[in-house]
Amino acid sequence: MRYLLRRSAHAAFLLLGVSLLAFAFTVLAPGSYFDEMRLNPQIAPETIVALRSRYELDRPLPVRYVHWVISLAHGDMGFSFAYNTPVAPLLLVRARNTLLLTVTVMLLAWGIALPLGIWSADHLGRLPDRLLSWGTAALLVIPDLVLALGLLVIAVKMGRLPTGGMVSLNFENLSFLGKTRDLLLHMALPVAALVLSVLPLLVRHVRAAVAEVLLAPFLLAAEGHGIPRRTLLYRYALPAAANPLVALFGFSIGTLLSGSLLIEVVMSWPGLGPFLLEAILARDIYVVIGGVLLSTLFLVGGNFLADLLLYWADPRIRTETGA
Amino acid sequence: MKPERANCSSRRIVFLLLFVLAALFTRPTAGSPPQNNSKEELLVLAGEMGHPGGRLVVALRAEPKTLNPLIALDAPSREVIGAMQADLVHINRATQLTEPALAKSWKISPDGLRYTLVLRSGLKFSDGYPLDADDVLFTFRVYLDEKVHAPQRDLLLFDGKPLSLRKTDSQTIVFQLPKPYGVAERMFDGWAILPKHLLEKPYEEGKIAQLGALATRPNEWAGLGPFRLKEYVAGQRLVLERNPYFWKADEKGNRLPYLNELVFLFVPSADAQVLRFQSGETDVISRLGAENFSVLSRQEGNYTMVDAGPGFEYNFLFFNLSDPTEKTPAEIVQRQKWFREAKFRQAVSAAIDREAIVRLVYQGRGAPLWGLVTPGNRRWQDEKLPHPPRSLDRARTLLKEAGFSWTSASDGEITLLDSGGKPVEFSVVTSSSNADRAKMATLIQDDLKQLGMRVAVVPLEFRSLLDRVTQTKEYDACVLGMVSPDADPNVDVNVWLSRGGTHLWNPSQAHPATPWEAEIDRLIDEQMYARTFEQRKKLYDRAQELLREYQPMIFLASPDILTGAKKSVGNFRPAVLEPYVLWNVEQLYLKNDAVNATR
Amino acid sequence: MRGRRAISGWLVVLVALHACVLFAGFFAPYDPTEQDRGRPYLPPMRLHFLDNRGHFHARPFAYALKLAEGSFDQYEEDTRRALPLKFMVRGANYRLLGLLPSRLHLFGAENERIYLLGSDAYGRDQLSRFLYGGRVSLFAGLLGAGVTVLLGLCVGAAAGYYGGWRDDLLMRLAELFLALPWLYLLFALRAFLPLAVGPLEAFFLIVAVLGAVGWARPARLVRGVVLSAKERDFVRAARGFGATDGYLLRRHILPATSSVLLTQAAILVPQFILAEMTLSFLGLGVPEPVPSWGNLLSSLQQYSVLVSYWWMYLPALIMLPFFLGYLGLGSELQERAEPYKIER
Repeated sequence: MRYLLRRSAHAAFLLLGVSLLAFAFTVLAPGSYFDEMRLNPQIAPETIVALRSRYELDRPLPVRYVHWVISLAHGDMGFSFAYNTPVAPLLLVRARNTLLLTVTVMLLAWGIALPLGIWSADHLGRLPDRLLSWGTAALLVIPDLVLALGLLVIAVKMGRLPTGGMVSLNFENLSFLGKTRDLLLHMALPVAALVLSVLPLLVRHVRAAVAEVLLAPFLLAAEGHGIPRRTLLYRYALPAAANPLVALFGFSIGTLLSGSLLIEVVMSWPGLGPFLLEAILARDIYVVIGGVLLSTLFLVGGNFLADLLLYWADPRIRTETGA
Repeated sequence: MKPERANCSSRRIVFLLLFVLAALFTRPTAGSPPQNNSKEELLVLAGEMGHPGGRLVVALRAEPKTLNPLIALDAPSREVIGAMQADLVHINRATQLTEPALAKSWKISPDGLRYTLVLRSGLKFSDGYPLDADDVLFTFRVYLDEKVHAPQRDLLLFDGKPLSLRKTDSQTIVFQLPKPYGVAERMFDGWAILPKHLLEKPYEEGKIAQLGALATRPNEWAGLGPFRLKEYVAGQRLVLERNPYFWKADEKGNRLPYLNELVFLFVPSADAQVLRFQSGETDVISRLGAENFSVLSRQEGNYTMVDAGPGFEYNFLFFNLSDPTEKTPAEIVQRQKWFREAKFRQAVSAAIDREAIVRLVYQGRGAPLWGLVTPGNRRWQDEKLPHPPRSLDRARTLLKEAGFSWTSASDGEITLLDSGGKPVEFSVVTSSSNADRAKMATLIQDDLKQLGMRVAVVPLEFRSLLDRVTQTKEYDACVLGMVSPDADPNVDVNVWLSRGGTHLWNPSQAHPATPWEAEIDRLIDEQMYARTFEQRKKLYDRAQELLREYQPMIFLASPDILTGAKKSVGNFRPAVLEPYVLWNVEQLYLKNDAVNATR
Repeated sequence: MRGRRAISGWLVVLVALHACVLFAGFFAPYDPTEQDRGRPYLPPMRLHFLDNRGHFHARPFAYALKLAEGSFDQYEEDTRRALPLKFMVRGANYRLLGLLPSRLHLFGAENERIYLLGSDAYGRDQLSRFLYGGRVSLFAGLLGAGVTVLLGLCVGAAAGYYGGWRDDLLMRLAELFLALPWLYLLFALRAFLPLAVGPLEAFFLIVAVLGAVGWARPARLVRGVVLSAKERDFVRAARGFGATDGYLLRRHILPATSSVLLTQAAILVPQFILAEMTLSFLGLGVPEPVPSWGNLLSSLQQYSVLVSYWWMYLPALIMLPFFLGYLGLGSELQERAEPYKIER
C-alpha cells in the first residue's frame, strides 16, 4: 500500500499546485466582481471601494490565500461575492446534478463506442467502416452547441420532450415511478447531445487501437486456430488494445465535472455549467477556484483509476512496478 | 411636483377607499385576511377584472443571488425582489408618473425641503405583522448606515449630506432634505420598506447583509409586495406564493394578486428562454432580441407577441478623452489628439449610418438616437434636438476644417491623414457577450472606412472591457450601452457630471476638463435642485444640446422593448420601463380555462 | 499497395481543397468584408439555364432578388432582371497569396452582385467569406494541433521511456495542466497585449498558447503506448544488443506512437477550428470583419439563424470534406506506419 500513499502525496501536491496557480490566474485576469457596479450610475465609487475591502480584494494575495485555505479547512471553500454565502454548499448541490448527467453519458457513450469501434475495426476499410468514419467526422464538425440547439428545435416541434430543466414543476406530487419517468424525460435531450458530442472521439480511438492489435501475429494465429470471431474480438483483441483506451477512460472520469458545461447552459440543466460560467464572467473568483479544485479531484481520481486498470490489464507494467 | 397634486390624489384615495370598504362589507371576505380588516386601507386598481388562482411561470436569465434589497445588484435579484417588496411612492411603469403606494398621500412644503408622507393604515407584512412608521424609520436608518454599504445609499445624500426623517405619529413620517430636490416624490420609488420586527436584531449584531440568502426559510422573511417566498431549489427555480395580506384590490374589491403562485425558472441562455416559451413551459417572455422576436412572431402559436416601443436603453460610441498618465501608451496619447478635436468627433457622428444600425441590428425594431434621452422617454426628450441624416460630405468637410487630408494608394484605397501626415487608425472595443453592440461596431467600422479611417473592432470579454475603460484607460474608443431605470434624468446624473464615475469618456474628474463640460455640470446641478418641471426641462434641454454639439458620446440607437405572453395571460400590458412584463404582476391572471388546466 | 494509393488519393483531395482556400482571392467573387446593407440574409441565388419563357441559355444566369416590401429578410425573385454569370471577370482588388496584386476573379456578374451561397447579417457574400475564412481557420487548426501534438510527443515519450521519477514528475505536471483554469490565463494574456497588436495576430497567439497548454492529453496517450512498446520483445532484444536510447526511440518506440498521434492530430485540427467559437464567445476569437470558419459556424449557434436561414448551414457542409480529408489521411497514414504490417 506504499503505492496508495504515494498517490495521495501526489494528489495533495497537485491540489496545492492547482489552487496556488488558480489563485494567481484569477488575479492576473483583468477586472473584479465589483467592476460592473462602476457602470451603474447610481452607485458611488466609495461604495465600491468599501465593498472591495469588505471582501478583502484589496489585501495582498498571500493573505487571501491563507484565509482561503483556512476557510477550506472549515469546509467553506471561500466566499461567493455574488451569493454572499460560502461556496461549498453552492457547488455541491450543482455538482450532484452535473454528475447525474455525466455519469449516465459516460456509461452510455462507452457502451456504444466499444462495440461500434470494434466492429468498425473489424471491417476496416470496407463500406460500413467508411460510412461510420464519415458519420463521426460529420459529428466532429457540428459544434456541440449547434447540436444541442438542433435537438431542442426538434423537441419543440415534436412537443413531447421538455426543453430544459431537470424536473417538472409538479415533480414533488408525482409517484416514485412518475418521478423517475419525469427525470428520464428531462435527461433525454442533454444526454443525447452529450453522447453525440463525445462519441466520435471515443469511436475513433477504439477503432484505431483495436485495428492495430488485429494485425498482430498472435491474433492471426488465434484466427487460424478457428476461434470464433466474437471471442477473438472481445476476449483477445480488446484487452490487448486496452492500453490507450484505459488512459482515455481515465480522462472521461476527469472530465465528468467539466465536460458538459456548455450543454448545461443551453439545456438549462441545473448543474455546474451555468453556475460556473456566470462566476467566470463575473469574476466570482472563489466559486471558480472551488470549481477548479473539485474537478481536479475528479481528474486525480480518474487517473488513479486508469493507472490501477492499466496495472491490472498489462502484466508487463505490473512486473516492472512490482520489481 | 406641486403640493396641490398631492391633495388631489389623497382626496381620490379617500374616495376609492370608501368604495373598497363598501365592497368589503358587502362581500364576505375574499382573501380571508385576519380579523379587523375594517381599518385596512386598500389601494384599488382599475383594469380588467381577473380570476383568482393559477400559476405564472417566468424565466430568469440567471439565478437571483439574494432576496435582500440592501445588497441586491443583479437584474434577476431585483426582478424577484420587485415582486416581494413594496415602496412608499411608486412610479407607474406604464404612465411613467408617480402614484400612491404604501403612502396613501404626500405633501411637499413650499420651500421644497420637507416631505410629509402618510401611510395607509392597517397594512401588514406578508407574515401578518402590522406595518407602521417605525418600520419606515428603521428602513431608512439601515439604508443610510455606512457600514451596511447599501449600493443605493448615494441617492439619499444631497451634496454629501443625508436626508433625515422622523415620525409625527404612527402613520406619518416627515422627511427633511438638506436641499430642495427636483426629483421630488419620485425619489421614494424603489426603496423596499423592511420589516423591523425581523431585521432589527440582526442589524444591531451587524449581520444584516448576510440575511436574505436564497436558502432562507419562508417564515424568516417578509415583505410588503404581492408575493412571498415559498420555495427555492438551487439552480432550478424560485417559487413565490400569493401574499394574503397584500394591500391592493381590484374594483370589485377582490384582494390582489390574482395569481396563487409566481414561479421563476432559471434559464441561462437567451435562446433557451425562447425555446421554453415556445414549448409552453413559460408563460411570459421579455428582454427579447429582435431576431428571436421575429422568429416567435413568424411561428404564431398559442401566444401573442408585443412590441412595446422604444425603451430606455441608449447605445453609444465614445472616445478616450481621459487625461494621460505616465503609464498611458504613447500611441494612445498620440491618437487622443484627434479624439480631442470636436470636429473629428462630429465628423465620425456624421458618417455613421444610424438607419442601417436600426435596420440591421434591430430589424427595424428600434429608433436611431442623437441624444442620451431615448424616444421612449416622452416627457424629457428635447424636441428641438436636430436629427441630421448621414452625410459623408459633411464629415469630409469637418475633417478638412480640422486639418486632416487624404491620400489614395495605387489600388484605390483612400487613407485619412492627420495634419502631421500620420494615417488615422484606431481600435473600437466592444463587449463580446453583446451581439448587438458588436454588430454596431462592425457597421461603424465600415462607415468610417469610407472616410479613410482604419478601425479595428476588438471584442473583449465584459470585465476585461470595463477594466480597460474605467481603470487602466488603455483604449481608443468603445461602443457601450446603458439602460436608464427611470424616466427622470436624475438617474443618469453621473453620466453627465464630469465628477461622476460613469462620465465614461473621462470619469471622476477633479475639475471639468473643458468649458463645455463645466457648463453641463452647471446645468445638471442646477436642474437637480430646480423646483418646477418646466425649469428643469429647459436646463436639461440645454445640456442635451451641448452634448450633441461636442459629441463626447456619439449616440447610435435604442432598441424596442420586445415581449410576449401566452394568450391565456390576462392584463398583460408590457411597459418600456423595467420590469417590463411583471410591473403589474398583481393584476396578471390566467383566463378561465387555463386555471384548471394542469401541465 | 492499396494503402499508398489511398494516401495519395487523400493527399490530392486535400491539396486541391487547400489550393481553393489559398487562392481565395481568385476563387471568391468579392471582397469578404464588403457589406451590402440592402440585402442582409439573402438566400442563395439559383443558377438557371432556362428562363421563365422556357428559352435555353448556354450561359447560366441568376435572377436578381429584391427585398419584399416592408420586410427585413424576405426576398422575391425579379424575373425581369437576369444576371448572367461571367467568367474571368475583373472585380475587387486582392493580393494573390498575399503578394501579387490582382483584380481577376473566376466568376462574377455585371452591375449586380451574385450570391451563390447567400449573404450574412450584413449582406456580405458567404462564398467569399468561406474561402477567405479557410485561410485563417486552417492555419489556426494546423498551428494549434501541431504545437499540441509535438509537445505531447516529446513529453509523453520522455515520461514513458525513462520512467521513474521523471515519469512521475511529468505526469503530475500533465495533471496540473489539465486542471488549471486556462481561460483566466487567456483573459490575462489578452489584457496584457496592447490593443495595437492586430486582433488577428492576437488570435493566432492565443491559439498557439492554447496548443501549448494542451499537450497533456496526447502526452498521456503517448506515454501509455511507449510504456508498452518498450516492453515488446524486439525492443528488449535491440536493447540487449546495445542499441542506444536515441536509436531505440527513433527506430522502435516513436513509430509505435504514430497511430495514436495521427488520430489525435486528425481530430485536433477540426477541434482547434471549432475552438474558435468558444474563444469568440469570450472575446478572444477572430474579430469582425475578418472571416473565419469559426465565426461562420458560430452564427449557427443562434436559434434565430438556425431556424430562419437554412443557407447558413452550407459552410458547415462544405467544411466536411476538409475534415474528412484530414481524418482519412490520418487513418491511412496510421495503417501504413503500422509496424506489424511491415513485418508481415
